[in-house]
Amino acid sequence: MSQKDLADAVGVTRQTINAIENGDYNPTIRLCIKICKVLGKTLNDIFWEEDTYG
Amino acid sequence: MDRSGLDEMQQSKRNKIGNQCFLLLLYLLLIDGGLYGFGFRWVEYPANIMILLTLCSGIYVVRLIAANAYVGPNKGKDRTAVRTIMTSAAAVLTGLVVVYLLKSVDLVSKAGIDEIAAPVLFITAAVAITVAVTVGVLNRIQTRRED
Repeated sequence: MSQKDLADAVGVTRQTINAIENGDYNPTIRLCIKICKVLGKTLNDIFWEEDTYG
Repeated sequence: MDRSGLDEMQQSKRNKIGNQCFLLLLYLLLIDGGLYGFGFRWVEYPANIMILLTLCSGIYVVRLIAANAYVGPNKGKDRTAVRTIMTSAAAVLTGLVVVYLLKSVDLVSKAGIDEIAAPVLFITAAVAITVAVTVGVLNRIQTRRED
């Protein structure tokens, strides 16, 4: 799934998805949940970073 | 997404840029007032206020467009096109009217500036309100059609 497809599915711009991926923008929990639902993953699967949070 | 149609990142950018431009306007007005207090008037009132307002609102719009926070992620491209066309048309219309009005005005003397200030402010505000209302109505019609 491309950034554009994901952006269209969750109702944001492609730039927003790009900024989230690059760590330039912290999305709200509401947007995180939308992204997880679209991708069929849990919040841990997508947003948990082992290196950062131990 | 709120009624503006912007997503959450665009909203936060718009708010940040708006705050910065508001503070810029405030400081410029304070500097202008301070200079006047020292006896220096760079342009006669009310042209100085109009210039500062135009400058700050221009910076605001340009920064919004540059930060991709002017038009939100719409379902179709219609709204973006309508909004862009309406904004361009308004800009051209306002520019033409202002140039037409300024043609016969003496911008050097205070009397000349006083004479033209009210019509220019009125026309600019009228065009902006007309465009805002028209875009709002068109958006509503298109949203109903999509539903």
